[in-house]
Amino acid sequence: MTSIQFFVLALTLYLVGALLSLFASPRTSRGVAAFFGLIGSLSALLAAILALTEGTPPSLTLFAIQPFGEFTFQMDLLSTLMVALIALVGAATSLYSFSDAPANVSVSFFTDLFMASMLVVVTVTNAFYFLVFWEVMTLASYFLVVWEFDKKESARTGFIYFLVAHIGAALIMVTFFLFFGKAGTFDFAGIRAASIPSAVKDIVFVLAFLGFGAKAGMVPLHFWTPDTYAAAPNHVSALMASVMKKTAVYGILRFCVDLLGGSALWWGFTVLIFGALSTVFGAFYALSEKDIKRLLALSSVENVGIILMGVGLGMVGLALPFPTLAVMGFLAALYHMLNHAFFKGLLFLGAGSVIGQTGTRDLNQMGGLARRMPWTALTFLVGTLAVTAIPPLNGFVSEWFTYQALLNAAGSDLFALRVFAPLFAIVLALAGAFAVMVYVKAYGGAFAGPARSENARFAKDPSAASVVSLVYLALGTIVLGLGAPWIAPRIAAVAADFAKQPLIAVSAGWTMYPGNPLVSIVSTPLVAILVLGLLTVPVIVVAAYGGWRASRRSNVEPWSNGYGYSSVMSVRASSFDQPVKVSFRPLYWVRTLVERPYRAAANFYNAAVESVRRAEPVVENAVTRPTLKLVETAGQWIQTLQMGDIRLYCLYIIITLAILLVVLFGGSGS
Amino acid sequence: MNPFTLFIIGILQAILLLLLAPLYSGFARVMRAKIHSRTGPPLMQNYRDIRKLMTRQEVVSEQAGWIFRVTPYVNLACMFLAAMVIPALTTASPLEAAGDLILIVYLFALPRFFLAVAGLESGSSLAGIGARRELLVSALAEPILLLVIFVMALLTKTTNLGRISAEVATGVFPFSLAYLLGLAAFAFAAYIEMGKLPFDLGEAEQELQEGPLAEYSGRSLAILKWSVYLKQLVLVALFMALFIPFGAMTELSIVAFILALIVFPLKAALWYFIAAIFENAMARTRFMNAPAVVWMALGMALLSFVFYLANV
Repeated sequence: MTSIQFFVLALTLYLVGALLSLFASPRTSRGVAAFFGLIGSLSALLAAILALTEGTPPSLTLFAIQPFGEFTFQMDLLSTLMVALIALVGAATSLYSFSDAPANVSVSFFTDLFMASMLVVVTVTNAFYFLVFWEVMTLASYFLVVWEFDKKESARTGFIYFLVAHIGAALIMVTFFLFFGKAGTFDFAGIRAASIPSAVKDIVFVLAFLGFGAKAGMVPLHFWTPDTYAAAPNHVSALMASVMKKTAVYGILRFCVDLLGGSALWWGFTVLIFGALSTVFGAFYALSEKDIKRLLALSSVENVGIILMGVGLGMVGLALPFPTLAVMGFLAALYHMLNHAFFKGLLFLGAGSVIGQTGTRDLNQMGGLARRMPWTALTFLVGTLAVTAIPPLNGFVSEWFTYQALLNAAGSDLFALRVFAPLFAIVLALAGAFAVMVYVKAYGGAFAGPARSENARFAKDPSAASVVSLVYLALGTIVLGLGAPWIAPRIAAVAADFAKQPLIAVSAGWTMYPGNPLVSIVSTPLVAILVLGLLTVPVIVVAAYGGWRASRRSNVEPWSNGYGYSSVMSVRASSFDQPVKVSFRPLYWVRTLVERPYRAAANFYNAAVESVRRAEPVVENAVTRPTLKLVETAGQWIQTLQMGDIRLYCLYIIITLAILLVVLFGGSGS
Repeated sequence: MNPFTLFIIGILQAILLLLLAPLYSGFARVMRAKIHSRTGPPLMQNYRDIRKLMTRQEVVSEQAGWIFRVTPYVNLACMFLAAMVIPALTTASPLEAAGDLILIVYLFALPRFFLAVAGLESGSSLAGIGARRELLVSALAEPILLLVIFVMALLTKTTNLGRISAEVATGVFPFSLAYLLGLAAFAFAAYIEMGKLPFDLGEAEQELQEGPLAEYSGRSLAILKWSVYLKQLVLVALFMALFIPFGAMTELSIVAFILALIVFPLKAALWYFIAAIFENAMARTRFMNAPAVVWMALGMALLSFVFYLANV
């Protein structure tokens, strides 16, 4: 089978899973959706692997409707990377959801539909169908967010998500009509070839960047993310944070760089500045959270900022033109995208296990879980070390490339870049240092210290399926970190192909370098070996002093100045960030400012609910009843045309299936 | 110099720094006593303390998990690695392939992360407060370190420690106002990271009873103390490698090696001497006032960057 057949198979499996789960009991539907999600992801992964071995980008046209154009999937290198990302994370969340997702038909149905729509979004080559499936993706995720629709808070959160996502989608839609007006087609190839006046291009850039930026959750359009991720089921929060956000970044790359050609310098600067703002504010706001899912959601805002910084640097490199900077910037962005998908998926699923066991999202109510849930704790620790960019794990690799791209930018001839690039490096360093605090707080609050609630005292590692999915993601994180010298050139090839720039060398043997080994070398596998190997040094030192003969006792209470120890004396998560809150008060003031539109939207929701309730009888008398009556009359009229013969219906179904098969596998040769 | 010789020198250098580290901290204690007009402990007191602690029974809080137990070892291993990578005796990095300046800065985060989690794991309030203070102080120092590193990297077109060091040592490097201000800012940031007064906030003997170290005892405490001493010396070595690499070996010869063996300890001693004078001239401040002082260092780093831009 070819890659595109596996791709279509993956889509089919997701859809079959979604449909079958509709007809099952809640518990069975969970298993059905998880099973089809898992094999669908594996099939999509095979498609991505096979696509790399095929010379030309595989593509498949399903049908064409005028005037919208052809419905075509194409897997060029960027799309293949995105498919691989969705498949790799989707496999983990599906496995996890076997036993730890809510047993709910609606959740099962929409989870598989959500994954299928994301696969289509990143491969379709037509703006019209892109928007259609973008909408399917948004709606599926919306229904997943409001799965506990009987909770008032959940409904309100869902409404705000719905509102923001649709304002974003509206902006994107306008860009498509601008494209259509100038190019006369919705096809990406046609848009690329068309000559679009630069003023229109500028408008398109602004609209597309804001539209996709809102979905990616960049500051200041991030305000919907914490509540939304907190409300969604755990495996869906993982999918939304690690994959759906990336489809928005993919949108920025596809529309602002690929289709528009990335020609203006100020575009790159805009993306860079928004990226830097998201990085620093995301880190700060994450630190002040005590709800573990909100904390992770805000940390995603920080990481999207880092990705956008890479994208911005790449765009600046394209505009200058400065090919090395372009490839370095996109390499950093794409690598961080992949990394973030793994470690944030891991952290959300780990948090999900913790929440499932303790029944709370409040870090203050947890504590001491490392002894009760050793596997969850260990994998969560790997995730925290990766997300805080501690070498030799994967977060460090992509941040290192971001630093090198910034250094390239700072050495360019453009004065504005020479001024700003080092300042952005400070931002990245500051955010990195705060990320350490955020995750010491998250890990420490949940897993360290004494248990702070009855549930935390009796928690245990959940089902084997969830532990396996956590271990798998943790291993992925480690491979992306230690295998960086072998993975980075592949991602550099994607970046160069997509930016249409000459490929630069980024690694040799065990080491990585930014285009030129004289500038800098780093080797994560070597660092890993050295850190592990050098653990023998303290062991030898202790042995030399005869220290191993000394006894140890581990049943004492911590020192508490001579008073009796009580577990309330330990530092709680919510007091952990107090020094930062005091030292950086102005930054938190900004948040209050940014949250105003959020509050306004929430108030608007309440007002809307109220007015709908009042409007209902009016609408019913004026619109609903006459419509019903009309439909009834029309139905009676149509019935006379029908044969009422069951054999004829069967024939319809067979003809439809035959056409579908011909289209799918007959057309795959093209 | 070929990579293998350099690797051997790297190991020798790391062992040398490991062995000397308690001596320098002892020296700082003696200096402090002299400035207070006290007799003070003998120069070798730190070695005796370590030997004594090694054979004592270790008492661990019942809350503590495996992170608490491995933290001292992770700390020493990371610092030993940094001591191998930073050029101290040579101008080339003894282990160039492992990483550059950015890696060194991020590598310091690993022991910090473990120490902070260990502080929380112990369940002691003093350790927890110390942990969060330690993290804030390094969050303040890290941007300064990175900005100065960026200025040096832009002046030399590399973030490779060995190459920066070699350029500065051989005079290829353009000495300028940017360099001098960068030197001052980096020295300030290194001083903060070393936890000298008034930035002794994480350990804060008088109020927090050594913060994250409070729950450690026996051999764990000995290893942890040793790695704190080594961290201070590693920061000094990093400063010397970037700004004052003079006297280090540029090529392999017995004379140059002996010279480097004499010069580096003297440079480090001079640093500790100056740091001791600063430390004892300052009073402890309230924790919340520390950021205000740090802004000054950031200002210096920014000024250095501005001078680099203006080419002064």
